[in-house]
Amino acid sequence: MSTIARLYEALGSDAVLTAPEDLSVYAYDAYSQERLPLAVVLPRDARDVADVVRIAYECGEPIVPRGAGTGLCGGAVPVEGGIVISFARMNRVLALDARNRRARVQPGVINLELSKAAAPFGLFFGPDPSSQKISTLGGNTGTNAGGPHALSYGSMTNHVLGVEYVRTDGSLSYAALDGAGYDLTGVLVGSEGTLGVITAIDVRLLRLPRSTRVCVAAFGDVEAASAAVSAIVGAGLLPTALEIMDKLIVSAVEAHYHAGYPTDAGAVLLVEIAGYPDDAESGERTIAQIARECGALSWRAAAGAAEREALWASRKGAAGSLGRIAPNYYIQDATVPRTRLPQALQRVDEIARAHKLPVGNVFHAGDGNLHPLLIFDRRERAQVDAVASAGKAILEACIALGGTISGEHGIGYEKRETLPLVFSPDDLAAMARLRDVFDPKRLFNPEKIFPSGAVCGEVRNPAQTQSQRQTLAAGGAWL
Amino acid sequence: MALAPGLDPAAFALGGKVPLRALAPASIEELAAVVKACNEAGEAVVVFGGGTLQGIGFSPARYNIAISTARLDKVLEYEFRDLTISVECGRSVERLNATLAERGQFVPLDAPSPGLSSVGGLLASGWSGPRRATFGRPRDFVIGSTVVLADGTVAKAGGMVVKNVTGYDMSKLWCGSLGTLAVLARANFKTLPLPETTRVALAALPERTRRRAVEHVAALDVEPSVAIALHGFPEAGGRDGQEGRLFLMFEGSHTLVDRATRDLRSAIGAAGVPETTLLDGTAATSAFARLLDAYGARLGERSLTYRSCGLPGEALSRCDALAHAATRHELHAESLLDILGGDAYVRVSTKLTAEFAAAVERLDASLGTSSPTYTIFNAPEMLRDGLKMWGNEMTSPATQRDIKHRFDPKATFAPGRFAGRANCSEGKRA
Repeated sequence: MSTIARLYEALGSDAVLTAPEDLSVYAYDAYSQERLPLAVVLPRDARDVADVVRIAYECGEPIVPRGAGTGLCGGAVPVEGGIVISFARMNRVLALDARNRRARVQPGVINLELSKAAAPFGLFFGPDPSSQKISTLGGNTGTNAGGPHALSYGSMTNHVLGVEYVRTDGSLSYAALDGAGYDLTGVLVGSEGTLGVITAIDVRLLRLPRSTRVCVAAFGDVEAASAAVSAIVGAGLLPTALEIMDKLIVSAVEAHYHAGYPTDAGAVLLVEIAGYPDDAESGERTIAQIARECGALSWRAAAGAAEREALWASRKGAAGSLGRIAPNYYIQDATVPRTRLPQALQRVDEIARAHKLPVGNVFHAGDGNLHPLLIFDRRERAQVDAVASAGKAILEACIALGGTISGEHGIGYEKRETLPLVFSPDDLAAMARLRDVFDPKRLFNPEKIFPSGAVCGEVRNPAQTQSQRQTLAAGGAWL
Repeated sequence: MALAPGLDPAAFALGGKVPLRALAPASIEELAAVVKACNEAGEAVVVFGGGTLQGIGFSPARYNIAISTARLDKVLEYEFRDLTISVECGRSVERLNATLAERGQFVPLDAPSPGLSSVGGLLASGWSGPRRATFGRPRDFVIGSTVVLADGTVAKAGGMVVKNVTGYDMSKLWCGSLGTLAVLARANFKTLPLPETTRVALAALPERTRRRAVEHVAALDVEPSVAIALHGFPEAGGRDGQEGRLFLMFEGSHTLVDRATRDLRSAIGAAGVPETTLLDGTAATSAFARLLDAYGARLGERSLTYRSCGLPGEALSRCDALAHAATRHELHAESLLDILGGDAYVRVSTKLTAEFAAAVERLDASLGTSSPTYTIFNAPEMLRDGLKMWGNEMTSPATQRDIKHRFDPKATFAPGRFAGRANCSEGKRA
């Protein structure tokens, strides 16, 4: 029996897609590498997922789990074909235990939906990637996603207490942070679907802060704004979020949202201070003082909840609003030590100029997590090549500054050839040993994370060059 | 190689086994060379930090060489404005935090005996203390690591940035691996600013008010960073006899801590708790240090401590169930219950050392196969291997053993301590 026939038999025809027009929707994510899978399956529960994995592994078909496809690095792209598992139907909050501040969710639950479900109990979920209105907790877990509030609450790995996952033989396992044995939960989070297919996630919930203040400071340029961030963090102050947008981004955002960001400034710094009311008030005073000493041209606190929400909504929608001014854009994700932000931004600017590409910056400054957006037109071949080359140069610059090549989107397909710039063959071999435990045939999301050839014998498309392989994001990407 | 040959192997004995040699490499390169040589010669190695948490797990089945990390104690990088630090893993937790304190920072590792406890030993033990619910576990502060694998390979993961999804998060695998996969040589941490002030509140906790007081504390508006219900444990501020003790710690600004104190007094007053003693400044930090020390403290060879993890809302019941079981087997039970984190530690003891082994073996056998599961946190060396050190369940034991085999195929690192003796079934839910 063929693979597809076995999938039909196991899941029923309404849970298996094979028509090219259906498959094409699953051929790319926010890093647009197009390749049709053999089939897309829409499991309803963990048992369905287990059946799919068993069948696929027996048939030697790659297995590519997919949340909402908002990742920037091609992590959800079926570059080797195979079977895409969409979690669209596994979107239930299975349990919400307010007393113990935890929840069990299926991987297809949208990030924001969990916080909405928890709100009546005075709770929320910490990690809030800007894509949280559409990205799923399964995808967030796979990439160890962060978001603006990672500064104070940490990334997914700091919130996942356990995962249920399917192993290569189709058996269900459960890894718990509190269980005896090695911390499998810790390695499954951020493994980008290469170690197992996650079917349920136990997460902790946080108490909603008693008071939240959101402030906006204007600066002459993005280097000055980031120097202020370095000074704030260096003074031992950790507000709940420190975000920067440069002039190009602010004008796109304001044209779309009218949230009240100053459009004449070279850069704006968004500061959120959440906590107990007394502390938030004194925290704001101290941070405003440091910002002024670092050259802030203005400082304004949002008047109420509506204004706070508007400022955040436009910040989180920044990339989307670029559609007004850019035919296409490419978002990079890299991290540097926080004191190196001004140099990193200067290097980004130099690289963009050298490649004759306009660049916008909107990023999680408090964590040193850069997101330069390079603007281009994908119909111009030379521009596409320039973007690929500039993207790589930015990563190299961040590494040279003591940083790394992914803060919250993972390595995926795009950055795997860059990974050896960060890690030695010995470092990568240690990671490959772990992979061998979980996936000896390398069918779980192949061609992701690990560089081709170097450690894993994954040389499958040696003739392709990096630029041939890259089909850059056509918009709609998130960060 | 200068490996400090003067070390006395007897000081590194475990489970009655004395290693042939005890070595103390002075650099990561020396450490790698020593490990490689031991691996090639088939010598079983136990890595020693301060030895404070060696009581976790079984004793090693084979044990030839002790490797002390005591000389690997340097600060490698500290850019305090980045709130990150990188240290060699033999550095004591106390010295790590002393370096950070000079810049008004800390890492909440909550080590018992921090002067002895090494950074690497603490991480490898999987320890998490009473501030886990507030700040996170030690592993949550590790942003990068360098280890020496059994074949002498030096491998790093993560880096010196606070947000990083570059490659697998191998540091998570090393944390809690009890030195059975690799030797932690270097650890990079993200740090936190020290709170403006720290206050400890101690209150009597009579038996009749206990359940209500615990619920009130869990619902306090200003959350304490530590909330422990003590029963016994006099060295930690508890009381002998029936009366329990509530140990709360608040950290933050002066205004916040003052408000927390007012809220607390009215809340626990409403729960029927009579009076509160407040400790500030060094009195507060000393009281917290004594509490941490109590976790690991054993009463000679006549006690051990069970640890039970689980939902905070069920912690009291779990704690009491074990304490009652201990009493039934003629053991004296003391408990240390983390109201926010849900951990319960129950120390069981007898008056006479001669009576202990038989009593605790009866208790351990009676705990049976039903949940909840209790793991043993520290046991007298000679009793360890006869007790259910890991409780009844280990998730995915076959995977655990496979990991051990891939990273340490010759079983060089502490063989038998962790994986490989699992008395449990694959895939069972925790």
